[in-house]
Amino acid sequence: MRRIVLPALLAALLPGAAQAQAQPDQGIQTVTVTYTRDPVDKSYRKMIRGMERFQREHALAPQATLRFRLLPRSPTVDMHGITLRVAGDHITVPVAVAPDNSFVLPRNEQALQEDAAVVANRKTTSMTWRAQVTTPGLPPDARRLGDLRLECLVGMEAGLVSNSSPLFGWISNALTSPEQVCNSPDGNFLFFTERPLFSVTLHAGDRTEILPFHFLYAGGEQTRDMLPFCDCQVLLDRTYYAPIWDRSWPDDTLVTFDYMDDAPTAQESTP
Amino acid sequence: MSARRMLAATTLAAVLLPGCATRAPEPGTSVAETRFDTLVVPGRTTRAELLAAFGPTKTVVFDSGMEAWLYTAPAAGGRHTELVLLVGRDGIVRKLRKRPAYPTDPVP
Repeated sequence: MRRIVLPALLAALLPGAAQAQAQPDQGIQTVTVTYTRDPVDKSYRKMIRGMERFQREHALAPQATLRFRLLPRSPTVDMHGITLRVAGDHITVPVAVAPDNSFVLPRNEQALQEDAAVVANRKTTSMTWRAQVTTPGLPPDARRLGDLRLECLVGMEAGLVSNSSPLFGWISNALTSPEQVCNSPDGNFLFFTERPLFSVTLHAGDRTEILPFHFLYAGGEQTRDMLPFCDCQVLLDRTYYAPIWDRSWPDDTLVTFDYMDDAPTAQESTP
Repeated sequence: MSARRMLAATTLAAVLLPGCATRAPEPGTSVAETRFDTLVVPGRTTRAELLAAFGPTKTVVFDSGMEAWLYTAPAAGGRHTELVLLVGRDGIVRKLRKRPAYPTDPVP
């Protein structure tokens, strides 16, 4: 059982509108903003805290770089042509989005002071967000466990996971620290692959183990009724848990994947 | 937010957010591994043949129409081997994999 929501209570979340005039030029691009704040937009401050966490915990993945990534959550969301911006009361900072829907968040002091939001031109609940920590030079179809550990810490610190309702998100954050989620077998932090999964294997020196079935597909316990409340909703067949809490597997452990289809198609390789 | 509201919200959240309460995974139907090896051939065995030979088991159905089926076979030390099948949209077994019991597996 994962986190659940009471949809009826979401009615309490009615977005307010805010209009703002731009401040004088301070060396960055400023425009007149008409911004409708959505209470479930991602917090810029939190995402910056996630980036700071990445720097503090960089030893988990010394060679890795950090990006964030947008993934589909709603069955109908169009993941092509997404635009992203940091929106405060008096400032808008455009964020470049790569073809794979990953991006680097720029640091902007005014946006921090204004407690800006990170806003996409999609309904926020139609997508899920993740940190993407990638060590260069790994074999194809492989991840590194230390990278995944850092993705969990950064993702939780940045408030990216959206399994629970927005209404209770702040309570969830208050009750579950990154350490509680990322260092516990019951943390249930989901990872996603590029293609539908059939098997996941860990390799560390002479030790090799295939992950049990319940580590795949969000535990295989999601019913049709539960799926809308899991951010694996449309990525269920690409979903796995990694034993990031288990320190008997070193950070350099390789996590390799066997997929349902042996060869990727163009559509499958772009979540 | 008042203390009373905070208490109510926290209590409700404790009920609604069982992020730390994971159910024990539902096991797959237990079968004899030798019989399974004999009867299941990827590319040929059908869903109906699986059901007739081994009965229903834990299954995850995806939007793509693919299905993952989990059977288990007894292994040493009270543990079990996982026998995982990928069943295609046409109802034919596409792939088979086995996960042996590892010494680090919890004993049931």
